[in-house]
Amino acid sequence: MHKNIFIGEICANDEVQKDHFLMKMYLPRTFGAVLPGQFVMVRIAGLTDPFLSRPLSIYSFSLEQNACVLELLYRVVGKGTQILAGLIEGSQLEVLGPLGTGYAMPDTEKNIVFIAGGIGVAPLSLLAEHLCVNSPSCGPNMTFYLGAQSSRQILGLDKLQSLCYAVHVCTDDGSFGKQGLVTDLIRKDIKKYPPGDTIIYACGPKAMLKTLNTILGGKYRCDVSLEERMACGVGACMGCAVAVKEGSGGAAYARVCCDGPVFGLNQIIWD
Amino acid sequence: MEKRKIKSVNPLRVGLAGLRLKNPVIAASGTFGYGQEYAQYMDLNRLGGIAVKGLSLKPRSGNPPPRIMETTGGMLNAVGLQNIGVEAFINEKLPFLRQYDVAVIANIYGESVGEYSKVAAKLSAASGVHALEVNVSCPNVRKGGLSFGADPKAAAEVTRRVKGETDLPVIVKLTPNVTDIVQIAQAVEKAGADAVSLINTLTGLAVDIKTRTPRLKNITGGLSGPAIKPVALRMVWQVAKSVGIPVIGMGGILTVEDALEFLIVGACAVQIGTANFINPHAMIDIIDGLEAYLEDNKLKHIDDLVGTFKT
Repeated sequence: MHKNIFIGEICANDEVQKDHFLMKMYLPRTFGAVLPGQFVMVRIAGLTDPFLSRPLSIYSFSLEQNACVLELLYRVVGKGTQILAGLIEGSQLEVLGPLGTGYAMPDTEKNIVFIAGGIGVAPLSLLAEHLCVNSPSCGPNMTFYLGAQSSRQILGLDKLQSLCYAVHVCTDDGSFGKQGLVTDLIRKDIKKYPPGDTIIYACGPKAMLKTLNTILGGKYRCDVSLEERMACGVGACMGCAVAVKEGSGGAAYARVCCDGPVFGLNQIIWD
Repeated sequence: MEKRKIKSVNPLRVGLAGLRLKNPVIAASGTFGYGQEYAQYMDLNRLGGIAVKGLSLKPRSGNPPPRIMETTGGMLNAVGLQNIGVEAFINEKLPFLRQYDVAVIANIYGESVGEYSKVAAKLSAASGVHALEVNVSCPNVRKGGLSFGADPKAAAEVTRRVKGETDLPVIVKLTPNVTDIVQIAQAVEKAGADAVSLINTLTGLAVDIKTRTPRLKNITGGLSGPAIKPVALRMVWQVAKSVGIPVIGMGGILTVEDALEFLIVGACAVQIGTANFINPHAMIDIIDGLEAYLEDNKLKHIDDLVGTFKT
């Protein structure tokens, strides 16, 4: 049995914050289960401008009697996402997925720390939800750090507050929560989390992950999911390269789409 | 007397430079990995052939990112021939491909004529390779590649040396980034090429107007996708009427209609590249479409269509 290109039917596509949309769609049950961190490639059938599919991370996933229900949280950044944002209920999309690797699950760590910048909240929110459902003992150990440009770009806060023991919000302009970057807050708080007893999950802009790498200094178990331009999403085009360390001390280009999008923070080479 | 039932001939079967294909649809090199990447989306046995990602003597790490950029009707890429090297291909990837009844075309690349020969020799000694496709046309690497493909003498020299190392059919993949592609095609034909495939990508550029920097780290990249189809078609037509060896056409084919255009102007087979990225079923749709077209047009065999262009 070969994997299909699925047809997703949109049942909601709303602007939840300025330039940020939440798309909900129905897919056949054969779409299968989703691991937190995985993504889908979506495109409008037959459209050649924009030409390529768009990789979007999965924000929520649930099973109904006759369908898989998928939620995609995305930011309008260009032509492709602009067109997606214009789709109305009942529209159909071609969906390839679920693609890529998921986050590694916690072992016995007492502290589970999430760090999200902007739209990076999407896969981490699914992970938090997944942990609450499948390992209920995790909930009280989960702390979420959420960064956004301003109060108008904060995404999914209510859901995170219902899942996590604590949610700390910061905004660049101070219009909500603490003023500053989410990494400023982490730099202060990191002492609270002993490396041997903490697992960290992060997703956000490259600059944020790079700073996080400096703060953590290689001492923590930390999984990050990366965003990159992609053409195929399945490992064939080699377009979504990221430099990673190799066992022998060398470097190599890994593919974000299929070797990731989740990587150990310590694996990545930040030039 | 009882009539003997004659087994119907596969109308899509193609014999090409000693290479037998069950249909004229081949996955283009660089867009299909080593086959494995797409095996979960289709039955590879349906394909006429697979041209695997370009192989070099030693593994190549490729160019730094960003490597791709979407453009109107296509994309630019500057992957820089990232590949696992010929040895790893033979040991790790060929056993997988041998499970399938599909022609495996090993695309090869070298930084010198000697490297091309060595890669060719290694692949010829391996079991499960059905043809070599010599890449003298990669626009994204500094040494080799394009510099061989843009000069008739150098292209001929590479062809001759590779031919000397192998009994496999040798296909030479041509670049469109030249003044006269016919001249190059004729030179490699004379040097013993069994077939030519064309076109590789057209060198292009995209600029970020906010930062005034190139969109690709490599600055320039190869343009592929439907944007290049008319150029490809024109070149395939010109080459097909100027050489005696078979021509494999490619460049922006998305649909069966696109594939038919190439066959009509003289391509014996087609390669499908960038289309795979946006639709992993594209090749299967094209194969089914070709069969339907023959039936609708009462053609017994695909050969009855090839080169029937009326001008």
